[in-house]
Amino acid sequence: MATDDVPHGRGRAGRSGFPLWPGRQSGRFRTALTGVVLVGYAWAAGATAPFSTVSLVCVLVPGVVLAAIAYWWPPERIQPPDKLDITGVSYWAIAVAALFEWEASAFRDSSLPWHPSLTDLINPLLGPHIVKSAAILVWMLVGWALVRR
Amino acid sequence: MGAGAPVTILSTRAVTIIGFAVVIAAMFVLEYIARRPGSRVPTVGQWLGYLMRPRIGRVLILLGWWWLGWHYFAR
Repeated sequence: MATDDVPHGRGRAGRSGFPLWPGRQSGRFRTALTGVVLVGYAWAAGATAPFSTVSLVCVLVPGVVLAAIAYWWPPERIQPPDKLDITGVSYWAIAVAALFEWEASAFRDSSLPWHPSLTDLINPLLGPHIVKSAAILVWMLVGWALVRR
Repeated sequence: MGAGAPVTILSTRAVTIIGFAVVIAAMFVLEYIARRPGSRVPTVGQWLGYLMRPRIGRVLILLGWWWLGWHYFAR
C-alpha cells in the first residue's frame, strides 16, 4: 500500500534492548490498520444521502486531514522529473483537452437525454452502496498519492 | 424514388457516450505506453508531480482532487 514507504521506527528497541516488534510485522500491522480504517470510512461515507450535511462532512474530513498532513507532516515525496519530454506531454495535453472540451460541450447543450455530461453518466453508476464506497476509497487513495508527489 | 437501404441513425446520446469512452480509453493507452521502458511519454504520476513542483500547482491539484470528491460524493 502507499503507506509502505512512510518511516515508522522499525526495530525500535525496548528496555531489554530487543526490538519491541520485528520491523516488518509492525509495518504490516500499521498498513492493515490503515486499510481497515479507510475501508470502514469509505463504507460509512458511501451510505450517506447526497446533498446532506453528513455527506458534505464525509468529503470535507479527508480533504482537511490530507491538507494537514501535506502542510504539517509532509511524507517523504516521490521526486518529480526535472523536465518532461514536450512531445510526450503533448499527447496527454490533447487527451485532457479533448475530455474537457467534450464535457464542456455536453454541459453547454444542457439537454440531459441527448448530451449527457460525464457527471450525468457517472452518477447513476455510483448508486449502489458498494460502488460508491469503492469510489470513495479510490478517491482517498488518489489523494494520498497526490500528497506524496 | 424507391425506398433505399435502411439507415441506422446513431443517436446524439450514443455519440456523446462513445466520445467519452474513446477519450478515457486513450488515457489508459497513454498510461500503458508511458510505463513501457524507454518511453518518452510521461506517466500520470510524473506529469502531475511536475505540475505540483511549485506550491501553487500543488495547491491547485489538491483542490481539484477535493472538488472531484465533493462533486461526485457530496452532491
